[in-house]
Amino acid sequence: MSNNRVSRRQFLNYTLTGVGGFMAAGMLMPMVRFAIDPVLQSKGAGDFVPTDQKVAELTETPVKVNFSFEQVDAWYKSDVTAMAWVYKEGDKVVALSPVCKHLGCTVGWEGDKNHPDEFFCACHAGRYHKNGENIPGTPPLGPLDEFEVEEKDGLLLIGPVRPNTLVKK
Amino acid sequence: MQRGKGMKFVGDSRIKANHRMPNLPKDYSEYPGKTEAFWPDFLLKEWMVGAVFLIGYLLLTVGHPSPLEGPADPTNAAYIPLPDWYFLFVYQLLKYSFASGPYNIIGAIVMPGLAFGALMLMPFLDTTPERRPSKRPLPTAFMLLAVASIFYLTWESVVNHDWEAAKAQGEIKPSDLGEGPKVDIEDFKDMPGYEIWMDDAGPAASCIGCHGGDLTGGAGPMLINTGLEAEEIETIAHDGKAPGMPGGTFAGSDEELKELAEFIASLKEEE
Amino acid sequence: MLNKIYDWVDERLDITPIWRDIADHEVPEHVNPAHHFSAFVYCFGGLTFFITVIQILSGMFLTMYYVPDVENAWKSVYYLQNEVAFGEIVRGMHHWGASLVIVMMFLHTLRVFFTGSYKKPRELNWIVGVGIFGVMIGLGFTGYLLPWDMKALFATKVGLEIAGSVPFIGDMIKVLLAGDTTIIGAQTLTRFFAIHVFFLPAALFALLAAHFIMIRRQGISGPL
Repeated sequence: MSNNRVSRRQFLNYTLTGVGGFMAAGMLMPMVRFAIDPVLQSKGAGDFVPTDQKVAELTETPVKVNFSFEQVDAWYKSDVTAMAWVYKEGDKVVALSPVCKHLGCTVGWEGDKNHPDEFFCACHAGRYHKNGENIPGTPPLGPLDEFEVEEKDGLLLIGPVRPNTLVKK
Repeated sequence: MQRGKGMKFVGDSRIKANHRMPNLPKDYSEYPGKTEAFWPDFLLKEWMVGAVFLIGYLLLTVGHPSPLEGPADPTNAAYIPLPDWYFLFVYQLLKYSFASGPYNIIGAIVMPGLAFGALMLMPFLDTTPERRPSKRPLPTAFMLLAVASIFYLTWESVVNHDWEAAKAQGEIKPSDLGEGPKVDIEDFKDMPGYEIWMDDAGPAASCIGCHGGDLTGGAGPMLINTGLEAEEIETIAHDGKAPGMPGGTFAGSDEELKELAEFIASLKEEE
Repeated sequence: MLNKIYDWVDERLDITPIWRDIADHEVPEHVNPAHHFSAFVYCFGGLTFFITVIQILSGMFLTMYYVPDVENAWKSVYYLQNEVAFGEIVRGMHHWGASLVIVMMFLHTLRVFFTGSYKKPRELNWIVGVGIFGVMIGLGFTGYLLPWDMKALFATKVGLEIAGSVPFIGDMIKVLLAGDTTIIGAQTLTRFFAIHVFFLPAALFALLAAHFIMIRRQGISGPL
């Protein structure tokens, strides 16, 4: 028998692998798709959430603005309160996410006496300029995220979060 | 097997360097009949059966989604329980007078216990070397009797069960999903029927018992968005409705019933 | 390539005898449906095992979404069935598999009984097999409660009453299963979950291992 011929035993082994693979795929395909569903689920853009902050009262100094919304976490619905640092840049309202881009701690405005006019993260001394740009040499690797904002009846509305658009590179 | 002097090892492990086992199936040509190897000969056939079985099985899951009833509500006194189908024969057995009431223990414990115990101790009850069913009539007869009675009892419980009522009583209601009806009952405050319904010691008390104080249903269906006319509602209140709703439980006058029916009929979701 | 990897591992660990011992056993003619069609009755045991594997896998995946809590159990089942892709199929596999495994096991038991295969020297394997039957029934009973829907609650109520009617120790069994003397609720659900997901499967694995080891020791019973 030449070397290229498939022996009976090889043939059986190949077919066995094929049938076994088919069964494993048939069993696991629905289950794996089921498990990775959260990865593939596209989340609709968030709504704008009203806050108590009057737009007219905003200044150039960032202030803490709390806002709460109903969070739907699969079968579990809950009210979540979050906050943003909001200030006015000329006429434009800027709302920055307080989540540090280093490891997710919460940054404070002028949280460190030695660094005025900066956001400061107390966890690992990360610092950001007022527009959210991270200061080189401190732990964070990117600028603070930004919330979309809207105004309605003189009150501030906070929308979905997006990457910082203020920092020019 | 080679042992002792001359035996070579891989490193200093106990695995032999030479004479490793050849990776070949055993030869079964000396065996009686058409004996074959499990791997790969027989396993391939087995897996082919398995693959066909799996396809049928997946088709079943797609064709018949697994049932889910409304969330458990321990306060629902009208619910008729039903176990999973393979317990139905015990369920049916417990309905007979010789196995229920004071004799409940016979049907619930003694009979299943004896059957299971006998099954487990079968090799010690039937100790003859005979294997053919026909040559050991007693065990065969007992087993056939047991199987036949299981089939019979399961069949009896299936035909005697009210499947429509079972389906209706377990239905998922919008309120279970946190989706209340988009009708504000308060908007209908001015109707005389509103007062009659809301008085839970009044003539409609028995209605509230099943349909709920807020009309969103309970043991009975929700009375919002019924799509019925007032006259039809009056008729149902008088004559009852299958399954489960008795007629004539409204304790007020015909006049009051008319007002109540008008109230219920007007509870419609606005388009 | 694959052969080289195999040889590399085999040279170091001598793995051939390990799996050859499982792969190399003779399948006699009288149990092979390819030679005698009526031998398909010998397939029921294998199919029972196949569905058991599906049950274990689908059960593992279902716990990714399921919570054993009276507030959320039903909601999480509703969510995984209706909102998650293929949720209906994965839950369907577990639901229908639970029924099919009972059917297959019943048929397998009847086959072993009517071929008299439980006789000497296979008494022990029969007893272990009946033990597996009991564990499977227990898995069916505890799993029925987990979706926490109407039929689950009321069927379990009846089941616990039956357990409670055992002479002398009935009440103790009932409280042990339900977690409370009167309420069938939060503690019942967590207990049934633990029994369904950890205790009974552990027992099942041990019994299945014993079942299979004994089959390999004794071989399949001969023709009638």
